[in-house]
Amino acid sequence: MEYIAELAPFTGYVYPNETVIPWTVLIVVYPYLTGLVAGAFTVSSLYQVFGMQRFKPVAHFALLTSLCLMLFVPVPLLLHLGHPERAFNAVITPHVTSAFAVFGYAAGFYVILLMLESWFVFRPHIVLQAQEEKGLPGWFYRVLSLGSYDLSEKAIRYDQKWIFALAVIGIPAAHGLHGYVGFVFGSLKSREWWSSDLMPAIFLFSAVISGTALLIVLYVLSCRLRKIPVDLECVKGLAYTLWGFFMFTLVLEGVEFASLVYRGREGTDVIMEYVAGPLLVPFFILQFGIGSLIPLALLTFMIWRGTTGRALIAGVTASAVLVLLAVLMMRWNVVIGGQEISKTGKGLLAYSPMIFGRESLLAAASVLVAPLAFLLVMVRLFPPWADAASYYASQPRDKR
Amino acid sequence: MPKHIVRLVILLVASGAIALIAKWFFTAESFYQYGHYRADSVPEIAAQKPVFQTPRYCQSCHSERHAQWSANNHKTVSCEVCHGAAQGHPQEGKLPIPADTRKLCTLCHEAMPERPRTQPQVALAQHSGGQQCVVCHNPHAPKLAGVVAKVAGDAAAGNRKHAASCASCHGAAGISPNDTWPNLAGQNAAYLVRILAAYKSGDQTDVMMSPMAKTLSDADIQNLAAYYAGLSCQAAPGEGRVGDAAAGKALAKNCAACHGETGIGSNPAWPKLASQKAGYLVNALKTFRAGLRRDPMMAGVTRGLSDADIAKLAAYYAAQSCEPVTQARKTQ
Amino acid sequence: MKPEAITSLVARRAFLRKIGRAATCAGAIAGAGAFGVMQKAAAKSVPAPSRGSFPTPDYDWTQHRWGFGVDATKCIGCLRCVEACKRENNVPADAHHFNTWVERYVYLEGETKARIDSQSDPQNIAASGSEKQYRFDNRYQAAKVEKAFFVPKLCNQCEHPPCVQVCPTGATYRTQDGVVLIDSKYCIGCQYCVQACPYGARYFNVRTRVSQKCYWCYHRITKGLQPACVEACPVGARIFGDRNDPQSPISLFIRNNRVQVLRPETGNAPNVFYVGIDKEVG
Repeated sequence: MEYIAELAPFTGYVYPNETVIPWTVLIVVYPYLTGLVAGAFTVSSLYQVFGMQRFKPVAHFALLTSLCLMLFVPVPLLLHLGHPERAFNAVITPHVTSAFAVFGYAAGFYVILLMLESWFVFRPHIVLQAQEEKGLPGWFYRVLSLGSYDLSEKAIRYDQKWIFALAVIGIPAAHGLHGYVGFVFGSLKSREWWSSDLMPAIFLFSAVISGTALLIVLYVLSCRLRKIPVDLECVKGLAYTLWGFFMFTLVLEGVEFASLVYRGREGTDVIMEYVAGPLLVPFFILQFGIGSLIPLALLTFMIWRGTTGRALIAGVTASAVLVLLAVLMMRWNVVIGGQEISKTGKGLLAYSPMIFGRESLLAAASVLVAPLAFLLVMVRLFPPWADAASYYASQPRDKR
Repeated sequence: MPKHIVRLVILLVASGAIALIAKWFFTAESFYQYGHYRADSVPEIAAQKPVFQTPRYCQSCHSERHAQWSANNHKTVSCEVCHGAAQGHPQEGKLPIPADTRKLCTLCHEAMPERPRTQPQVALAQHSGGQQCVVCHNPHAPKLAGVVAKVAGDAAAGNRKHAASCASCHGAAGISPNDTWPNLAGQNAAYLVRILAAYKSGDQTDVMMSPMAKTLSDADIQNLAAYYAGLSCQAAPGEGRVGDAAAGKALAKNCAACHGETGIGSNPAWPKLASQKAGYLVNALKTFRAGLRRDPMMAGVTRGLSDADIAKLAAYYAAQSCEPVTQARKTQ
Repeated sequence: MKPEAITSLVARRAFLRKIGRAATCAGAIAGAGAFGVMQKAAAKSVPAPSRGSFPTPDYDWTQHRWGFGVDATKCIGCLRCVEACKRENNVPADAHHFNTWVERYVYLEGETKARIDSQSDPQNIAASGSEKQYRFDNRYQAAKVEKAFFVPKLCNQCEHPPCVQVCPTGATYRTQDGVVLIDSKYCIGCQYCVQACPYGARYFNVRTRVSQKCYWCYHRITKGLQPACVEACPVGARIFGDRNDPQSPISLFIRNNRVQVLRPETGNAPNVFYVGIDKEVG
């Protein structure tokens, strides 16, 4: 008999079929990735659509990050499926009442949109490389250029129009793509912990903060690696964005939790027992305490005091790392937490993840790291830095 | 429009067209016929072969057993519930006859407070002393043949008949003068009616009793039973091979369900054994074991008894007091 | 000719040659593709055989409307139904995957909440001695039991099944005779349906790697037999029949009793009707 790794010990009464947890750590990683995609794209569009110049240093980098993450979004799903070779059934015969089927098309649309926008944004670089590079890289850029080296004013104007249009369409597309993940959980009648109208909004706003936080960390890291000074206005702007959306996210999550407890529908006794017991560490300590209160306090303090310079960068980066943890824990507490409360409303289960295997912590970690490794390659091929020239020229040492 | 935009648009439109064609091409043949699913899967599922065959299937070969089963209380219990699914039978071999009936039967019949009161249930330890259920019960006709005969006789008339026909062997007061012929005093009337009727009809045969019973009328049988039941059964306890009685006590646990712990049972259809003649008991058990005295239940319980066991049991019952034990005091 | 004219002529010819080569290649690929598409088109345009009696020649699903009843006042918790179902339907032989199961509700004196367990409870598995055979232990035999009963559970084959609603591919669906089936050749194993079912009726089969659940033994009922669990029940706690027939066991059951369904507030409109369940059964 194959070892059933997701076998869950339980207390109280649970349905016999519930003793195997269906959605595990890979399904935690999947909304986390799409959230990062949506969040990174939002930051990029702050510059592309809303014209906020302070975000210029990260705008194109955000777009590239969004693209790299988006390409890896199907991976945790394919690893989880019982028959990944049949995955296209959902695209060939999509059942339109199912959020998953809609995802197939929404994700496909969004990936194409991201690729198009990136192509337009990096077109000058592509054309340049197509003309200069030899051999395989040269061939690569020539194919991408579609055989046209037109960088005239007229062409650039067209490109800018396309970029703007794509960025505008991309905002609802990205948010729809991630909002639907919330709908996947929120629309179900079977679990009290999931069933909520606020789910899509909560997922969305926590996505924006996770993307912003990721960009903060990656941008500061990239500046260190490139040995150039961090753009303080940009980091401040990102901090404001993070702070604003974060407060709203906390309000939404708080309201949802309060409603659940206040309504006291079937299962609330068990929910409270769960929250006070097994959920204490992942929810109250990790997500709420360490992941939310500390960065919120830190950011509020720095914004209030007008912190700048090294202190600002350190503080904002630290907050960003904690926010990334908080959002990961939020996904964990929704996906895993939701399944640890039985559908009977009378029992609790305990999930302990595998370390190795198809649906294991190692697989989840790999899926999280892989897009970042891919990003490392992509920034070589398509340098997104606003100060692109400095990427090529040899650098004076950082004088700071 | 710039060249690259034109080429991009062409590329997008072409990809879209290919995607649509691919979608149409890969859609399964029978999809959308009756709804958003592959219609062919319905006959595929319907074509699976049933595993359980139902009792009607068993009837074709096991007609006698089927007839017995369907005339008795277990007719609601499908054959395959106890014997396993009949798919592949008889081609692939026999179906198992359950060996551990204690484990099997208690699935339905173990006394549990959650079970409806209408379900017959027993506490196994008290009920059979740990014996297998099939020792007493035929699974295809599970209700025990302890049908209590009607007793409505006249004891006085029975007295007269007894003095005339029976006293010479069974004693003036119903206490037998020797070890071979049974005491009748204080015996259950219903049992006496049943056994005399059996001797009379030929269901039971005994060299002495058969011709005697044939001379009795039904009224005589009723009267005799009523008379003997009213007699006092005082016999001298301690007769017989006292030394074996202790060992017999252990064996008698297996008989307690029907005959009571000390040989005084609760069902008047079954005979009292307490202070019965040891020699008679030995003969009776041996004839049950040999099938000469016909009783399916007794045949079952005696099958595994050795001669030594029989001697011990007889000694034990012979040594019991035939007065019901009202206190917890036990007699040896 | 002028040198520039010659150069451009040469260039044009070279270009045309290139185009010609590319066009031939593309044409070949397109031709092969088109041929394949035309074959498929021919196959698809043949009208689906007017299917007549569907799904089998002997069984027409438009003539039946199946229903199931559970009389919880009769159930003795013997679990023969659970074992029969496992045998009949290739259900994984362990204590974590069931098409049907039985729950035990016990109210002890002085307690207001029921103590609930099923045959999967580790104590009960210990009592049976095996994960493949099932029995309820007798843990309450010495307790002061105020009220206790058994409730068999199975897929409710809802009128508006949430599992069908969430399936992304159309691998699970409702037939015209009222049974929710799973196309195990089409299911991708995403387990969304397992999450969506409020009754816990569905599970993921690790061996076949698709979802599975009770399907009222569709392969039996389309042959005039009863589901295996109904056949196995020794006390008549499970009732099955055709609601189109007013004299069928299920029609009589529904007509002669005040019947309930599980979790009516979900709007699923289940088709398993219960008699004798209690406030805490959900």
